[in-house]
Amino acid sequence: MISVKNLYHSYTHDDVYAVNNVSFEIAKGEVFGFLGPSGAGKSTTQGVLTGLLPLQKGEVTVAGYDMRRRNRQMFNKIGVSFEQSNVYNKLTALENLEFYKKLFDVKTEDPMKLLEIAGLSEVAKHKAGTFSKGMKHRLTFVRSMLNNPELWFLDEPTTGLDPAIGRQIIDIVKQKKSEGTTVFLTTHNMNVADELCDRIAFIIDGEIKLIDSPRNLKLQFGEKLVVVDHIVNGITKREQFSLIDPADMARLNTLISTGQIEMMHTKEATLEEIFIKVTGRGLE
Amino acid sequence: MKKIMAIIGRDIRSGTRDWLIIYLSFAAIFIALILRALIPSVSSSALNVVMLENATPELITFIEANATVSFVDDEEALKERILRIDDVVGLKEVNGKFEIIKQGNEAIPMETSLKMILATYGKDTSILPMTVAFSDIGWEISPIKLEGGSILIIFTTVFGGMLILLNLVEEKMSNTLSAINVTPMSRPQFIFGKGILGFSIPVIGGICAAIILGFGGINIWMFIVSILSIALISIIVGFSIGVTNNEPISAIASMKMVFVPILASVFGAMFLPDKWHFTLYWSPYYWAYDSIHAILIQEATWLQVLRDSGIIIVFTGLIFLALRKRIMQGLR
Repeated sequence: MISVKNLYHSYTHDDVYAVNNVSFEIAKGEVFGFLGPSGAGKSTTQGVLTGLLPLQKGEVTVAGYDMRRRNRQMFNKIGVSFEQSNVYNKLTALENLEFYKKLFDVKTEDPMKLLEIAGLSEVAKHKAGTFSKGMKHRLTFVRSMLNNPELWFLDEPTTGLDPAIGRQIIDIVKQKKSEGTTVFLTTHNMNVADELCDRIAFIIDGEIKLIDSPRNLKLQFGEKLVVVDHIVNGITKREQFSLIDPADMARLNTLISTGQIEMMHTKEATLEEIFIKVTGRGLE
Repeated sequence: MKKIMAIIGRDIRSGTRDWLIIYLSFAAIFIALILRALIPSVSSSALNVVMLENATPELITFIEANATVSFVDDEEALKERILRIDDVVGLKEVNGKFEIIKQGNEAIPMETSLKMILATYGKDTSILPMTVAFSDIGWEISPIKLEGGSILIIFTTVFGGMLILLNLVEEKMSNTLSAINVTPMSRPQFIFGKGILGFSIPVIGGICAAIILGFGGINIWMFIVSILSIALISIIVGFSIGVTNNEPISAIASMKMVFVPILASVFGAMFLPDKWHFTLYWSPYYWAYDSIHAILIQEATWLQVLRDSGIIIVFTGLIFLALRKRIMQGLR
C-alpha cells in the first residue's frame, strides 16, 4: 500500500535533512506505527506521503500512485487525521462534514453516522467554534473517515486527549483495522503503538533506526525474565528469575514443584524501554 | 462543478455568520445609497422652487411653466423644506412683491435665474425666450454623482478582494487548507471556487451602485464588459494578499496599500494634464477609471471599452503569472 525508498526531505533545500534516507514498505491491511520524539521526522514523512510536502528526493508510492506524478484522485482512497484540529469554527459539526463530503468523488459515509461514532451527534448543529479541544479533535478524526479510506493516516490521534476519548479513538481504529483498512500511525505514545500496530518503525533525527513487530522487538530486546510472588515462612516474597541462567531456572522449577507460588508472570520490555535502548534517547 | 459549488456554498454560509463579510458584501450598495442622499438632486439640472399652497393660481401656473415646483402649507414648512440637503429655493408673494428665500449654500445660482423669470411675470411676454437649465462646464450630471460613482465602482474591487482574503485567512488560521489539500479537489478548482464570490461582489455591487445613483441611460453592455474586467482585479488583490498574511489584521493592513494605486490612478486621471497620463498607464485602476468614467457620462465607445478592458485583463493576467508560484505555495 505504501512503498518508500531512500526518501530525503530538507526544509532548507540543502544537506540538512529532516528526513534522511528513509525506506520502508507497508502492506495492505497493516497498521504501521511511526514512532519517535518530537522533531524526529515523523510528520515530515507523513507530509510527503500525503502530498502536503513535495517529494524532493527518493521514490514514494502511495495507494498505487507515484508521488512524483501526483494525482489528486488518490485522495479518494486515503484519509488524513491531523494532530492539530482543523475545522471551520463558523460552521456546525454537521456542516463541516457535509462540506468535505462534497469534495470526494467516491461513495461517502453519512455525516450523522460519523458524528454518532465520535459521540458528537447531540451537538451536530452546534458551531464547531464552541467545541472543546477534545470535541474538535474527534470531529477532525471522523472527518478523515468520510470517504471510507483504504489507507488512513493518523497523526498523534490520542495526544492531548483525556483517557476516555483516547480509548474511544483507539477502539475506532481497531474496528477499521478489523475491516482491512491500512493505517499509518504517527505517534510518540508507545502504549497506543503497542496496542494497535502490526509493525513499528523507530525514527530519530530523520533516520529509521529499526523496524519490526512489537512482539519481535520485545522478544529481541526483552531480558526473558519471570517475576514470581511466592511464600517463604508465611510471608509473600517477590523474586525475579532469568529464563536463560541455569541456576535461576533450577530454583524456579523447585518453587513450582513445591507449590509455594502465589503469582507468576513474564516480564517483557516495554516499547519505550526498547526505544531508549536502541536510540539512546527518550520519547518526549 | 460540485466541488466548486461546495466551496462557494461554504464561503456564503460562513460569510453570513461574519458581520465584516456581510458588510463587505453590501458595502457598495450602502455607499451608493449614502452618495445618493448626499447628491443635491440626481436631476439637479432643473430649477427647483418651493411655494406656499395659498399662492395665487396665476403665479403658480407661471412658475410651474418655468421650474419644478413643490408646495408646503405654511412658512415654517417652507423654511424646513429649503434647509434640506438638496438645492431648492423658496418663493412667496408679500403685498405684490416677491420674496426669494434660499439656504445660502446652493451649488448653482438659482436665485438669479428665478429673478429673471419673475421679472417677466405679468408682462405681455407669454413665453420666455429661454430655457432654464443648470450645467457646470462640460458636466451634464452632478460631479459628486459622477466621480463618486466612478470611484465607488472601482472601489468595489477592494470589497471583492477583501472578501477573498478574509476567507483565505480564515482557512489559514484554522489550518483547514491542509484538510482541503488531502481531498481530490484540485488547486485550480479551489482558486476558482474561492474567487467567484470576490468576483461577484464588484459585478453586483457596481451594477447596483449605477442603478442607485441613477445612471439609467448608460450603455449597459459596455458597463458589464468593463465591470467584468475590473472584477478580475479583485481576484488578484484577494489572493495575493490572502496567501501572504496569516491573520485578518495584517491582511487588512496590507489591503490598505492597494488604496494608494487606486487613489493615485483615479485622482491622477482627474487632475493631471493629458500629456502626463502616460505615467498612470501601469495601473489597471487607471484603465478602469478611464472606461467607467466615459461610460457614465455616455461618451464611451466600444473601441475604448474593449481597449481598456483588454489592458486590464492582460495586466491582471501578467500579475497572476508573476504571483502564481507564491499563490500556489501560500495555498499549501
